[in-house]
Amino acid sequence: MINKFASRCIDINTEYCPCMLAETNHCVFCSHLKGEQVCNCNWTGSCILYEKQWHSKKQDLPGAETKVRIEIESPVTVKTEIGKNTYQLEFTVTPELAQGLQKAGSFIFMRRAGDPEFYNFPVGIMGVSDTLVQVVIEAIGPKSVRLLNDDTCSQIIVRGPYANGIFGQPWIDNTKSSKVILVAGGLGQPPAMPIARTLVNNGNQVTALVAPGKVGRAFIEAELRKMNIEVISIPSLRQTGIPLLRQMFASLEQRPDLVVSAGPDDQHYALIAAMQAVDVNLPMAATNNTTMCCGEGICGSCEKQTRDNKMVKTCKVQTDFTEFICD
Amino acid sequence: MVRVVVIGGGWAGCAAAIAAAKAGASVILLERTDLLLGTGLVGGIFRNNGRFTAAEEAIAMGGGDLFVAMDANNRHKGINFPGHQHASLYDVTTMEPLVRKVLQNYNIEVRFQTRVVDTVKFGKRLQAIVIDGNETIKGDVFIDTTGSAGPMGNCIKYGNGCSMCILRCPSFGPRVSVTAKSDIKEIMGQKADGSFGAMSGSCKLNKDSLSKEVREKLEAEGVVVIPMPEHLIKSKTGGLSKKACSQYAIAEYAANIVLLDTGHAKLMTPFMPIEELRTIPGLERARYEDPYAGSIGNSIRYLGIAPCDDSLKVEGIDNLFCGGEKAAVLVGHTEAVITGLLAGHNAVRHCLDMQYLKLPRTLATGDFISYVHEQMGTIEGLRLRYTFSGSVYFERMKLHELYSTNRAEIHERVASSGLTDIYNRCLV
Repeated sequence: MINKFASRCIDINTEYCPCMLAETNHCVFCSHLKGEQVCNCNWTGSCILYEKQWHSKKQDLPGAETKVRIEIESPVTVKTEIGKNTYQLEFTVTPELAQGLQKAGSFIFMRRAGDPEFYNFPVGIMGVSDTLVQVVIEAIGPKSVRLLNDDTCSQIIVRGPYANGIFGQPWIDNTKSSKVILVAGGLGQPPAMPIARTLVNNGNQVTALVAPGKVGRAFIEAELRKMNIEVISIPSLRQTGIPLLRQMFASLEQRPDLVVSAGPDDQHYALIAAMQAVDVNLPMAATNNTTMCCGEGICGSCEKQTRDNKMVKTCKVQTDFTEFICD
Repeated sequence: MVRVVVIGGGWAGCAAAIAAAKAGASVILLERTDLLLGTGLVGGIFRNNGRFTAAEEAIAMGGGDLFVAMDANNRHKGINFPGHQHASLYDVTTMEPLVRKVLQNYNIEVRFQTRVVDTVKFGKRLQAIVIDGNETIKGDVFIDTTGSAGPMGNCIKYGNGCSMCILRCPSFGPRVSVTAKSDIKEIMGQKADGSFGAMSGSCKLNKDSLSKEVREKLEAEGVVVIPMPEHLIKSKTGGLSKKACSQYAIAEYAANIVLLDTGHAKLMTPFMPIEELRTIPGLERARYEDPYAGSIGNSIRYLGIAPCDDSLKVEGIDNLFCGGEKAAVLVGHTEAVITGLLAGHNAVRHCLDMQYLKLPRTLATGDFISYVHEQMGTIEGLRLRYTFSGSVYFERMKLHELYSTNRAEIHERVASSGLTDIYNRCLV
């Protein structure tokens, strides 16, 4: 099992690389495409400068411009209230977009049809079956309220696929036949679903701790149990969940190989503190809760500073969540 | 026990590992690919012009193992070709296993497919290097022989793109400089027009793809010179200034196609479109062996040279030495071996708090290292390549009477500077 991974752009080796950042010499990965003189990248198996060179040759051909995300308009087919101001939505997308959203950690941007682009907000994917996409949204800020509060308008614009919804994605993908603890709290429950599916498919023994959080309901429990996951319902993460986790981390038999935290940043920090309290340092994957506006590394709203003073565009760049802790 | 870590298994790295082992250290050699020798896998020419003197000096100093191995594995010796006298050609197709055996005899631990990605530094000392997969390898002293060529991004920016050369970056991952990862600013060689880097100077053709007459002559005599057809002379000269090896950037090589038998047929030009190549009599069916894309270009080198003094210690790090192309704008494996030997030997001296060995200027090898380092201080100097076999340094050798083909005389010179068998002495 890997114990540390390099900061890498999640779009490398996908059709979305090289992106607009490479066009303007702001690639987060290739030293040449950052304006440096010589190669100094963290090799992933392909050369982005090369990709860009081939791409530039094709640019004159119609339809071969820098690949941008798919944006489609779609009616909301199902809208169920599952908690206070919280709704589960279902809508169909194109097969290509649905395919792109299969992986755990996928997310989309959504806004009401007819609204300007700055109403876009990121939403994690809960599930995709065929071309039907499931998400859960809490009406909390101007953008989500605008999308949900208007019953007359059920037409939405969906933009995607985006991939960097989990810090520590390599652990989700590469942990096999191991013991994993998945902690899902509040609105961390929807993105926990694709994570749970991936972990189970990889033959892991998953134990899920589910807390209702502010939503007030642990709405994924039944689905998790269907996957043969051992579910522990906890009324409050702070009061019952963390002491239980600390006990599990401390015990050699119960200690997992991987901890996954799906929930707010406070939950991530609490889990790290629980590990520190019993002097263990387990690999951890955590959902990405950063505020984002464009998802393309352009707007800068998602930039976070790491402990070693680097700025990370969290919409694209994989980083260990613990890197964001400032002492 | 003194633990020496050598990074890069080309000629320089192998020489450094041997010198350090002979001086009594426990040596680990890390190589990115699955083969030793690096660009030496497609080299082959030695003992030509001043390289004879340099090789004999190294032998007299007790560092002759690799030259003895090359001599034992040569296909031709004492051949002459334009601008070059008494050259030997080792067989590039069978050289590598022999070198492995030499290293094995010295109990050097070689780890293949082990690519360095980072260093762990404390103050001005290197503590460990990090390899792909995050394993760290600790050592008392480190030797950077990672070269200065490639990878693909550099070959696009400063050349014609990846030409699929023997370095095989896409398969094994790119070269990473230990010096650069230790935050030492590296020096970049330049072309005559001031742009960075230079293209490797020769290609290998598959010998079976040559006409029977050319192949037979090549195998019998070691060299074939074919006058360049009139229509090609014009298109070829453009390629000459991009060459790394200024000893071949002379008029004879524009007017003739020079082939050498190094196992493959070594073609003394950086690249040539295969359509043009095939208009040359005898080469109608020719195809490239290295680089595979010899039609479009060759690898770019001299993009990361470590600043170092004449003891080959890297400036700014107390326990890092360098050899080969990493140590200066030099060309050729004779040059790589003599700098590698010195770096390996001095690495052990570092651990024992001994004074570093500097080769005196009364020896060709000593004068070479000092002279190249002096020249690298100037812009003009960075635009030249240095080798015992030609160009400015061979002229200097002749001028200062450092050039000799008399074995006894060379050994006498080494003896009078008190360095006979210096590399054979166990220091630990």
